Amino acid sequence: MFFSKALFKQSMKANWVKWLSVTLATCVMLAIVIIVLGSLSINDIRDSLKNVFTQADQESVLKENAIDSYDAYLTTTDFENGIVSITSNALAWNYYLRGQVTSTYDANKTAYETENGAQPEGEALAQIQNQTAAEIVQNLRELAGQVGQIPGFEDMLAMLENLSDEQLAQFMLILIRTYEQNPTDFASSDNATLIAAVNEVYYDYVYEMAYETYLAKEDQTPESAASAAASAEELAGKAVVQYQTLSSQSSFVYSQELFKPYAQTEVNEMIKSQVLQSFNLPEDATDEQRSEAEQYAVAAKVISNTAISTYELWLSEGATAEDARIEATASITDQIDEKVAEALSELGNMDIYGLIIGSIFYRIAGILLPMVYVIMVANGLLAGQVDSGSMAYVLSTPTKRRTVSTTQMLYLLVSLFAMFACVTAVSVVSIWIVGGNAFAINFGEILLFNLGAFLTMFAFAGFCFMCSAIFNRTKYSLSIGGGISIFMLVCTILGLFGSSVVPSAMRIDQMNFFNYLSLITLFDTTSILSGGLNYLIGFGALAIVGIVTFVIGTFCFDKKDLPL
Amino acid sequence: MEEEKQETVIKAENLTKDYGQGRGIFDLNFEVKKGETFGFVGTNGSGKTTTIRNIMGFIKPQKGHVSVLGQHAWEKSYEIKSHVSYIPGEIAFPDLNNGITFLKNQAELLGLKSMDYANYLIKKLQLDPSANLKRMSKGMKQKTAIVAALMSDKEILILDEPTTGLDPLMRETFIKLIFEQKAKGKTILMSSQMFDELEQTCDRVALIYNGRIVDIADVNALKNSTMKQYKIEFLEKEDYKRFKRTKFKVVRDQPQYTQVTVEIDDKDVNRLFKTLAKSKLKFIAEIKFNLEKHFKDILANQLKGEENVFQ
Repeated sequence: MFFSKALFKQSMKANWVKWLSVTLATCVMLAIVIIVLGSLSINDIRDSLKNVFTQADQESVLKENAIDSYDAYLTTTDFENGIVSITSNALAWNYYLRGQVTSTYDANKTAYETENGAQPEGEALAQIQNQTAAEIVQNLRELAGQVGQIPGFEDMLAMLENLSDEQLAQFMLILIRTYEQNPTDFASSDNATLIAAVNEVYYDYVYEMAYETYLAKEDQTPESAASAAASAEELAGKAVVQYQTLSSQSSFVYSQELFKPYAQTEVNEMIKSQVLQSFNLPEDATDEQRSEAEQYAVAAKVISNTAISTYELWLSEGATAEDARIEATASITDQIDEKVAEALSELGNMDIYGLIIGSIFYRIAGILLPMVYVIMVANGLLAGQVDSGSMAYVLSTPTKRRTVSTTQMLYLLVSLFAMFACVTAVSVVSIWIVGGNAFAINFGEILLFNLGAFLTMFAFAGFCFMCSAIFNRTKYSLSIGGGISIFMLVCTILGLFGSSVVPSAMRIDQMNFFNYLSLITLFDTTSILSGGLNYLIGFGALAIVGIVTFVIGTFCFDKKDLPL
Repeated sequence: MEEEKQETVIKAENLTKDYGQGRGIFDLNFEVKKGETFGFVGTNGSGKTTTIRNIMGFIKPQKGHVSVLGQHAWEKSYEIKSHVSYIPGEIAFPDLNNGITFLKNQAELLGLKSMDYANYLIKKLQLDPSANLKRMSKGMKQKTAIVAALMSDKEILILDEPTTGLDPLMRETFIKLIFEQKAKGKTILMSSQMFDELEQTCDRVALIYNGRIVDIADVNALKNSTMKQYKIEFLEKEDYKRFKRTKFKVVRDQPQYTQVTVEIDDKDVNRLFKTLAKSKLKFIAEIKFNLEKHFKDILANQLKGEENVFQ
C-alpha cells in the first residue's frame, strides 16, 4: 500500500490556497480571453485584408485578359490588312494565289503518283501539302525581291512584311486543304466567293493559333483554351468586318493606330459580356440580381479600359510590349514591395484566434501560473520538507519513504488534474457562450488544447518532482527544477517570434532556435488546428517525460540520505 | 547469548559516516540495553545528530551498521518505526495551521485511536496547541514536538536535544516526564549539551568528540563514587611544604598560591583533617566530581595530544 491518507490530507491543507488562487486566476484569464475575442470580431480585419488580395488577383487576371484580347484584335487587323487588301486587289492576287496553289499542289501530287503508282494518302499527302506550302512561301518571298517590276502586287508585299514564314506556310496549308476539299469553289473567278473562302480559312487559322497559344500558358485546360480561342475567332470576325467597312471608303489607308480605339471598345464590351455570362443568371432572376451582375460587369469593363489605356500609354512612351504588359496588369499586390506584399497576404491568412488561444494562452500565458504552482508545490512536497526538517514527523511514523513519495506525487497529479478539469470546464462554457462550434475554435479543438496543456504540465510536474526528490536543499531543487522550467517557458515566448504561427512581418526565423530548447514545443497547437494527427506524437512524448521523471524521483527518494 | 540479544535494544557496530574534512562519525560502537536511558553529549558538530539519523534509518552508513531491536536500521527503517518515537533536533513543522491540526494529523499517521495520552501530555507541559504553528515560540514548538513524539507511547524514545528552548521550570517538568517514561520501562536515547540533565536522567552517557566516542560514563557509578577532591590554600608557606611531604595524593599543585588539590577516598577524610588541624588554612573547598568534570578531564587529556587541531 503506497498511499497515506493522512499525508495526502496534510498536503491538501498545506497547498489548497495556492491551488485555488492559481486555478481561479487561470480560469478567469481564459474566460476573458475567449469571451472578449468572441465578441470582438478580430477576423473581420483579416477577412477584409484577404478580400483585398483575392480581388487584386482577380483584377490582375482580368487585366491580363483584356490586354491579350486587345493584342489579338490588333494582330488580326494587321493580318487582315495583308490578306484583304490583296483580295481587294482583284485579279492579280486571285489568279496568282489560285495558280500558285493549284499548279504547285497538282504538280507535286502528280510527281508522287508517277513515282509511287498510287494516290498519296495520310502522311504522304501531308508531306506533299507541307512541301507545296513551303514552295509557295518561297515563291512569294522571291516575288517580294522583285519590287517595282511587277505592278499590282504592292499590297501583297505589305502582307509579306507583316507575316512570318511560319504564319504564311500555315495559311497556305489551310488554302491547300480548302482547295482539296472543294476544287470547284476554289477555281471560281468570283472575287466575293474567294474573299469569303479566304476569310473562313483565316478564322480557322486564328482559332488554331489562339488555341495553341493559350494551351501553352500555365493554368489552362483544353476547355478554357478552346473557349479563349473561340472568343479570339469571334474578335477576328469583328475585326475583319470593321476592316472591310473602313476599306470600302475610297480614302482608306491602312494604319494600326486607326484600329486601336475600335479594338479597345470591342475588348471592353467583350469583357463586360463575359463577366455578365459568368453570373449565369437564370431566366427568372430578380431585378436586384440583374443590377448586381450588371454592376460587376461594368466594373470589369472599366478595369479592362484602364488596363488597355495604361498599356498603350507605356507603349507610346517607348516601353517594350512585355514591360508595358507588366505595368498595365499590375494589381495592388504588385505595386507594393514583394516582402511587404507577402507579409500582408500572410496577415490576411493568419488565424488570430488560433494564435491567441492556442499558441499564446495554452502554451504560455495559461500555463505560467500552473507552472509556478507546480514548481512551488513539487518543491514543498519533498525537498522543502526535508530541508526544513518537518519531513521527520512523517518519516518517524510507520510510513515508508515510497509511500511518502507516491502519496506526494499523487497529490501533485490529482491537484493538477483538478486544476485543468476546472480550466477545461471554463473553456468549454466560454466557447459555448461565444457560439459553440460556430466559433473559430470548436469544442474538439479546445478539449485537445486543454489535454495538451495538462500533459505539458504533467511533464513539468514530473521534472520538478524529480528535482525535489533528488535534492535535500530547497535552493537546489528550486533553482534546477524551477529554473529549468521557467527557462523553457521563456524560450517558448522567444521562440514564438520565430514560429510559423506569427506572420512574417513580425517573425524572426532565427528565433525558432529557442523552440528546440523547450519541452513546450512538444505541445503542437498548430497541428491540432490544422486537423492532422501529428500532435499525438508530442502528447505521447510529454506523457513519457512525465512518467520517467516521476519514476526516477521516486527511486531517488528511496535511496538517498535524509538530513532529518 | 540469546538473553543478551533480547536485552540489547540499540546496537551500533563500527558505525561510520564520513562527510569529508574530518566531519562525520567514525567507528562508533555502543549498545543500549532494554529499559536503559542512554545519553549522548558532545560539542556542536561532534556527530550526535548524525548518529541519531543513522539509528532512525534516515542516512546510510558507509561502514558498519546500527540495529534496533535486532533489525537493520537502514534496510528495515520502516519496521523499526513501529517501535520508535523521535524528537528531531531541528524543530520545523509541516505547513499546517495550528498545533491541534498538526497533532491530529500526526496521530493519523501513527494510527493512534485515542488522544487521551496526548491530552495528558499537553496538560502536563502546559501547552496551548491551538496556537498558530508559525507563530509559536521556540519553547512552544519544542513542547509540541515532545507531545507529538511521546503521545504514541512506544517502547523506544530517541530524543535529539529535547530540552532546547525550554525554560528552566519546563526543563524540570520534562525531566519528570522522562522519569515517568523510565518507570514505564522504556528505552531512551537522548542527546544534549547539558551535562546536568543527562546526569539526572541517564544511566550511561557517551561523550562524542570529533565523531568518535571518547568515553562512556556510568552515571550511577560516578554518583556513588567515594573518591573526592579538595582544594586547600595554606596561609603559611611552612605548612604548605609540610603538607607536601605527607602521603596524600596531590592532583594539582600551585606553589605560587600555596595551594594544593588532593584526591582522597571518603574513608581517609578523617586522617586528612587530623593532618590539617595543625596548619593555618585560608580555605578548604570540595571540588564537585560530576559528569561534567569527568568528561572535561578526559577531553583535556585528549587535547594535549591534538593541540594543533585547534589552531
